[in-house]
Amino acid sequence: MAAPSWIRLRPPRAALLILLLLALNLTFSLAANFEGFDSDDLPSAAGGLDADDDEEGLDGVDLPPPPPISLSTSAPSPPVTTTSAPNPNPATPTPPNPTPALDLWDEDEFEGIPVPEAISSSDAAAPAEAAPSDPSAEAAAEAAPVPKRTPAELLRSFSVEIACVSFLICFLLNYFTGKRQSENIALAWATKFATRGSIFDKNFSLLGTGDGKDTPLLLKEGQDVFKFYASGRRFCQGMLATMEMRARHDLLSKLVELVFPRKDTITFEVVMNEDAMDHVVLAVARKKAAKMMQKEERDLQRFANVLTSAPAGKKWVSDELAVVAESKEVAGDMITEAVLDQVLGEKAFEKFGKWFISLHFSDQLAGSYKKVLTFKFVLPDASNMSEMTRLVALVPYYIDLVGRYKLSVHARTKTDAARTKAAQEAFKEHQSARHEALLRKKAEKKKLLEEADAKLSAEALRKKEEKERARQMKKSGPKVKMLRS
Amino acid sequence: MKEGSSGGGAAAGGNDPRQPSTAKPYAPPKLSPQDLPIDYAGFLAVVFGVVGVMLRVRSHLPATPLLNHSDLRSESDFRVYKVCSWIAIIFCAQSLANMKNYENDLKQLSMAFM
Repeated sequence: MAAPSWIRLRPPRAALLILLLLALNLTFSLAANFEGFDSDDLPSAAGGLDADDDEEGLDGVDLPPPPPISLSTSAPSPPVTTTSAPNPNPATPTPPNPTPALDLWDEDEFEGIPVPEAISSSDAAAPAEAAPSDPSAEAAAEAAPVPKRTPAELLRSFSVEIACVSFLICFLLNYFTGKRQSENIALAWATKFATRGSIFDKNFSLLGTGDGKDTPLLLKEGQDVFKFYASGRRFCQGMLATMEMRARHDLLSKLVELVFPRKDTITFEVVMNEDAMDHVVLAVARKKAAKMMQKEERDLQRFANVLTSAPAGKKWVSDELAVVAESKEVAGDMITEAVLDQVLGEKAFEKFGKWFISLHFSDQLAGSYKKVLTFKFVLPDASNMSEMTRLVALVPYYIDLVGRYKLSVHARTKTDAARTKAAQEAFKEHQSARHEALLRKKAEKKKLLEEADAKLSAEALRKKEEKERARQMKKSGPKVKMLRS
Repeated sequence: MKEGSSGGGAAAGGNDPRQPSTAKPYAPPKLSPQDLPIDYAGFLAVVFGVVGVMLRVRSHLPATPLLNHSDLRSESDFRVYKVCSWIAIIFCAQSLANMKNYENDLKQLSMAFM
């Protein structure tokens, strides 16, 4: 995470900050409604612009006319000042204007009189543009003190607001519909697999994140993340299923997903008992994903390799899949006939492969738990939930299989060696890290001491110099001798 | 594993695999504030909000006589700051929509809205 720490604002705080900012913006834009009157104080708004700004200020519309046009409207627009003049803000102090001509011009004094400066400002630079803009300005001036605009004009001047507000409305509608969709899928999953008499009810004694009795099965962690927890089964401490839905509730993410499509996924993490898992490191995924996993996951990197060929004399997984395992023996024992028949074999995978992402069993996982079985599947639609029944059935099946599994003596010596080696390396690494930390601490301490020393010596030097100077002064000063009478 | 729908574990185990005595209640993983995922939407909202305010302020700075063309500049900034502010609002909405419930107290949220 290379991002600076202040990026990681917690949302409530960020939201607060944003709301504050928006409030600030709002006050600014409120002020903008009256900028027509205020703009006189702005030297930047030359005489010609004043009238234009007045128009805007009156109806509160921030229409930015293109610069040359705004300059050219100045000539006929002074009448506008007359209409709007009944309400100029006399209290606003006028700071010194940049040009002497403007200095002389007082709004109150010259009510209704065309401003000479304004006329001069409509010079030869923009007579061409002046013609088309004039009628509209005049029409606006004649219509009423509050100039009316045609609907088309209004539409144009509010285009940003209209676009953004309609987007926000779409966002809001999409939020509720998307939320509903995600919830429906999660609920369909829960009713299919976690209600009374279903597969997880038969396998775990505690379902849901509460203490068992009458608690909701699913824990909603955000609009697109649902969790299901189960515990109380032999060989394992607990199972956590995390459903990560596509960001249906978020219109912006939805747009991003048009380019980078995603799927709803469900990840089962089973934490095995310490004594219930032998040395097993195994992963099964599609070929590309398996290679990625082998590179990225530490335990696979260290202990396992991609198996290039199937164990002799056995049916093996579908061609699309690759197996990453510590040894052929483990792979052969873990991928049993039943599993091949149900999901991973050639025939079954054709049908169920689209719901399968990966399996990853490890007794050396880096993290708070070491012995973990991880299953990753794609979630089907709410109506097709039964299609993943076989995949979900893999979970309890593998808990039992791994829980009962014992490596052969021959394989065990090998894996034992690998693990002790890894443990030694880890220990060494830890040791060296500690050593380094100690050294760094020492160096820091030394530096601090030196700094203090330097400070102290500087202080001493200064004092000494002062003394010296005082002595010099004394010496050079007129000598006063006290005479004793 | 006989038939998938009947529960593989029960099939493999023969007897009931459940062990109520070993059941542990769910313990949510402890997260330190540093480990929270980065809230990109919130960050972008802050950035756009700041840019919007800055442009707004800049377009209202009194220009020096030398910079008389600055009125042109403010005209061009006119829409930009508005768009920036709106984008900030949109990202703010996204940030709120993507909030995870472990990240916030509802109380805090309601206070923010008030």
